Formats: sequence, C-alpha cells, structure tokens
Amino acid sequence: MTHKGTSTFIAQRASAVALLFLVIWFLWTLSSHAGAGWEETLIWLAAPTGWAPMGLLIAIGAFHMRIGLNEIIDDYVNSGARGVLKLLNLFACLGAALIGLWSLFLIAA
Amino acid sequence: MASDRPLSPHLQIWRWTPTMAASITHRATGVALYAGTILLSLWVFALAQGESAYAALAGFLGSPIGVFILFGYAWALLFHTLNGLRHLYWDMGRGLEVDQARLSAWLVFAASLILAILIVAGGLSAG
Repeated sequence: MTHKGTSTFIAQRASAVALLFLVIWFLWTLSSHAGAGWEETLIWLAAPTGWAPMGLLIAIGAFHMRIGLNEIIDDYVNSGARGVLKLLNLFACLGAALIGLWSLFLIAA
Repeated sequence: MASDRPLSPHLQIWRWTPTMAASITHRATGVALYAGTILLSLWVFALAQGESAYAALAGFLGSPIGVFILFGYAWALLFHTLNGLRHLYWDMGRGLEVDQARLSAWLVFAASLILAILIVAGGLSAG
C-alpha cells in the first residue's frame, strides 16, 4: 500500500478510539450476562442495546484488524505473496464481519 | 572470512526491556484478537442457529480448554486495549520519557493480567 500511510494511520487510531468504548461495553456486558443460557442471551442481543454495540464491535473490530495484519504482512513478507496475503486478509475480515452482522440481523429481526 | 571484529547486534542477544516486551506483545495480542473476533462472530452465528448449536459451542467454551481460550481472549483484549491507550497517549506527545514508558509498560502488563483473572473468575463463579 503506497501513498496511503497517513490515511491508514488515522483510520487505525480513529477505529481504536471507537473500539476503546466498545470493548469497555463488551467486557461489562459479558460480566453481567455470565452464565446466561441460550434464550436469555438471545433476548439480550435481540434488543437494540445488545445488537447495536455488538454489531459495531464486530464491524469496527474487523476494520481495525485488517489494517493491523496488513501492517504485519508489510513488515515480514517481501515478495509477490504480499498481495495475495493481503487479499486473503481482506476476505477473512469481511467474512468474519458479515457472518457476525448477518447473524445479529437474524437475531434482531 | 573470520574476523576479530564484533558482530553487529543480534536478535537473540538483546537484553529484554519492558518497553520492547510490551511492543511485541501488542502485536502478538493483535494477532490473537484476530482469531478472537472470528470466534466472537461464530459465537453470534451459533446463537442465531438455535439452541443445540449454541449449547455445543457453549459446552466447548465451558471445558478446561475453552476456559483457557476465553482467559487468553480476555487477557489479549485487555492488554491490547490498555496498551492501545498507551499508544494514543504517546500520539499526544506525552509519556514518552524512558522512565514513563517503562512504568506504563509494567502497569499495562500488571493491570491486564489482574483484570483478566478477575473477569474470568467472575464468569466461572456465575456458571
């Protein structure tokens, strides 16, 4: 990735700030729902106060981890495999986000 | 050709410092959280699939291996978040003195470990 250093730098920090709040919510909410069964967990995530932050956590988390792994690939891979690995990285992050968001949609709908 | 001149610094003979340990741990926990996010996504997926799918995943996560994975996930999340906060503080141009960076590295290691133990212990006692 050339000529994109500044925007990537800013994107990683902006998503980090968003994730900071989402992770605090995540740990707090997990602690308060520990031991809940299937039905109780379903009801919790079907509410907007459940699926909204969870969806943001998964989506912004996927965005943040794609940039992070691309950085690692740039650091350690110095060959033609770089492009392929970054494409695989994109697919993995997209896949994780889509499976999570689609499942949340099914739960909330 | 053999030479008496000293070798250039080698990766294995560096003395470990808290700051470099925090740096490499930030990267390692980032990679671990990559797997953690995929696990989180699969957890929501299992929840949406139905009670038996959810029970299977929850059963695995309740086993000793599952608890170990959850503890690792909690610690990685806490370390990466707290150390990320440290990075954001540096971005404001603060905390960059050697003593300050060394102290904050120790604090991040200690706080993330204590919080991870508390959270997982709390989760276990809740069932």
